[in-house]
Amino acid sequence: MSSRRSRSGPTLNFKAVLLGEGCVGKTSLVLRYMEDKFNPQHLSTLQASFVTKKVTLPDERRAQLNIWDTAGQERFHALGPIYYRGSDGALLVYDITDQDSFQKVKSWVRELKQMRGTEISLIIVGNKTDLEEQRAIGYEDARQYAQTVGAQYLEASAKENEGVAEIFELLTQLMLERLSQRERDAEPPNLLRLDASDAVSVSEGEEGNDTDDTGTGQRSCCGI
Amino acid sequence: MATAARPPSLRLGQQDLKCRRGCGYYGTPQNDGLCSKCFRDRNDKQRKMLKAGDMQPIIGGSSHGPASFSAGGTLERRSPQHFLVRDTPKKQVDKEPDTTSMLQKKKFTAVLQKTLQAGAQKIAQQRGYVPDPTESQFVKQLQKLRIPDDGKRKLKSEIQRLDNEIRKYMNSHSSKNIDELSDTVQNTYTKVADIVHNDPRFEIATNEDRESAIDFFEKVVMTQNHKFLFSPYFTTDEESDMMVQKRIRQLSWITSKHLDCSIDEVNAEARDLVYNAISELVGIDSYYSPQEKLQCTVRCCRHIFDLLKRATGGPASADDFLPALIFVVLKANPVRLHSNINFVTRFTNASRVMSGEGGYYFTNLCSAIAFIENLNGESLGISKEEFDALMQPDAGLQSFSSPWESALMACESLHLISENMKQMEKLQRKNADISSGIASFEKELIEFQREVTERVDTVMAKAPLTLLPIKTPAFLIGQARSQLLQDMHEGEAGHYQANVLSGSQSLTVHSGMVKTAVAAEESGLALKDTSISSIGRLSPLPNLQQPDNLFASPIFNYAAFDAVSLLEEPSSGGCVDVLMLGAELQGGLTNINYDFDLSDQSGENSTAEESKLNLDEFDPLAQPQPQPCGAPAAVEPETSLINTTTDSLIDSDVPGTCVSLPSPLKPEVANYRGFSNFEIPSISCNTGDFSSLGHDVGTTEKPK
Repeated sequence: MSSRRSRSGPTLNFKAVLLGEGCVGKTSLVLRYMEDKFNPQHLSTLQASFVTKKVTLPDERRAQLNIWDTAGQERFHALGPIYYRGSDGALLVYDITDQDSFQKVKSWVRELKQMRGTEISLIIVGNKTDLEEQRAIGYEDARQYAQTVGAQYLEASAKENEGVAEIFELLTQLMLERLSQRERDAEPPNLLRLDASDAVSVSEGEEGNDTDDTGTGQRSCCGI
Repeated sequence: MATAARPPSLRLGQQDLKCRRGCGYYGTPQNDGLCSKCFRDRNDKQRKMLKAGDMQPIIGGSSHGPASFSAGGTLERRSPQHFLVRDTPKKQVDKEPDTTSMLQKKKFTAVLQKTLQAGAQKIAQQRGYVPDPTESQFVKQLQKLRIPDDGKRKLKSEIQRLDNEIRKYMNSHSSKNIDELSDTVQNTYTKVADIVHNDPRFEIATNEDRESAIDFFEKVVMTQNHKFLFSPYFTTDEESDMMVQKRIRQLSWITSKHLDCSIDEVNAEARDLVYNAISELVGIDSYYSPQEKLQCTVRCCRHIFDLLKRATGGPASADDFLPALIFVVLKANPVRLHSNINFVTRFTNASRVMSGEGGYYFTNLCSAIAFIENLNGESLGISKEEFDALMQPDAGLQSFSSPWESALMACESLHLISENMKQMEKLQRKNADISSGIASFEKELIEFQREVTERVDTVMAKAPLTLLPIKTPAFLIGQARSQLLQDMHEGEAGHYQANVLSGSQSLTVHSGMVKTAVAAEESGLALKDTSISSIGRLSPLPNLQQPDNLFASPIFNYAAFDAVSLLEEPSSGGCVDVLMLGAELQGGLTNINYDFDLSDQSGENSTAEESKLNLDEFDPLAQPQPQPCGAPAAVEPETSLINTTTDSLIDSDVPGTCVSLPSPLKPEVANYRGFSNFEIPSISCNTGDFSSLGHDVGTTEKPK
């Protein structure tokens, strides 16, 4: 990904893939975030599979968030890696009332870890909190799983518009941190990554406790 | 070659099939678009021409294309690198075939229309350095870029450097690796991007201009080196192209149902959009630079989204989109699919395929191809046996020969029929609407008519009551008066006076002229008359007002009848009723007024009138025939005179009489009617013909 013009390019380009089984509400989440609408009938957009949103970062830089939707059907599962290439973040969406969708998330996490290693920020999203009474996966279970794989866990309801914006804000933040980390890595060349990750202090307090139970060996920074 | 480079379209016009010479026969691509005869002619001619000349290589180049492409049919076009394979070693020497074949191709691309002629000539002259008409175009574009001149110079030198690097690589290396080349190019892109963004020479340029400078760099280099970099001979791109093409052909039995996508294959509108998407997809091959190929992909995908939006009603997600794209790829079976994909992947700026809309759609296209290549029964939701059976060449190509095509072609008429049926149904419905509308309108009309007549009836029922009273047959009065006067003056009418004064006298006078029976009746009447005679005297005067009108209306006779009948009796004959109605309708109110005036008068002033009437009636009867004719003429001037004098009087009288009119009449009128009837003939007598008739009626009635 050497082509990314991070220093001089005034707009940063972030690419995030959206993964999740069919009917877990991937599209609804995106549309809710993009247009603040839930019912797809009222949308002005032609499509909801590729969306971009310009965001202003805390340090006044402008960034463009590209969200790539992927087909969630099982038959297309194998095509995932084509989409992961060059992505900075991934949103793994499951339906809290559907155990299967959670298992699918796990398999995606494995794939992503295998392919992108630590270069990608993961957020696992439990959608449909409006159907709390039908919940099949407990909040704690999901959160603990997310911790073990070094991902963030959030819950949201696209229908009720709860926690949707937070997901994308957190995603942007994570990707930005990872990017600045990479730049820092790049500046002193040939510095070993592992050393670097130890040296970098966690800038954000919120995810301070995540580092200890990460299963994967190679950790970069920011406690993810 | 010609067919290959033409902008793609799925439907060939008749024109495309005809011989290019216009001889009317059909041409074939194998014969360079000519029919066999024209082709042979031309070949002969060329051979003769070339015997002497050194143009051999040009012909080699231009006829190469069609020949090699015809081998596999249009769908199995081969990459131009096949010539390169042969040509590369002695590149400088064989430059000519390359450029000419390039030219052939470019003739058809829109980008290069400009300066084609001039460029071609130039090339013919200077054959050394990059003889390409695109070059001048690019120079122009470079000039248009809104970056500082120093920047332009830098950009140009970078372009030349990369260009040379690629050529050197292609020429020198004995063992080549496409990835190496790709890395070289990518590194240069990064370098150029770095220069453009950080070099002081570009400092004043805006971000957009910098981006377009980078784009320009890529476009120039790629277009110039397309022939080397697209599906190079040292890669397996072409084999992959063939394999995927064969694969897609084997999979021609796949329908949208297999893919579970929401494309309605039999909907005409959807089919058009699919066609659009397909032609864009096929068109990818006809562009040179990766950017244009990506743009083409984007357009293709937009069509698909358009399609899906119509099908699903909302914005499509990837869950819908990918199957639809796979379907389109399967139906399009684009040529040189892998070559194009690889070309873009290797030689476009990596950020372009990693982000942005183009990148997303390109990625989807890649995954669609990957899906197609790894397709099995499971992924289509059918059993392995069924899948294998369908994949058998026989089964796949014959029994299941492309349901898509058959759906399109064989059933097209059916679709048309169904569409027409729909149209017909619509028309029928409209027709029914219209006829029901007509019916209801008709009903309304009838209703309206009924209402109007009803209202008119009610109004008419009311109207008679308000009618103005007292119109005398003033001329009668006048007549009477004149008669009286005459009598008075002449002394002849002694019997009249006697009549007024005493029945006996009149009896005696009349008896001389009329039958005794009549005379008897008259005597009775006369008695009555005398009793009311005082009033009678009064009444005639006010009525003097009217005579002009009376005379004016020609329907007077009838009107008189009607009025009478209306007011009084059912006893009057049916014929009279009819007459009355007719008169009313025709004459209008004024007539009616007069009529009533008459009847009223006869009613109200019954006695007075009666007496006069009597007088009047009797006059014609009593008097010899010549009298009536002469009388009116004499009367007219007189009445008019009277009118002028008595106007004021009449006015004052009218209202009073008006009120008291109707009720008192009824009983008496019956009797009087006879008189009025009787009297009318006398009027008509005045006017002329009817006089005799009227008289008869009068006389016949009398005896009753």
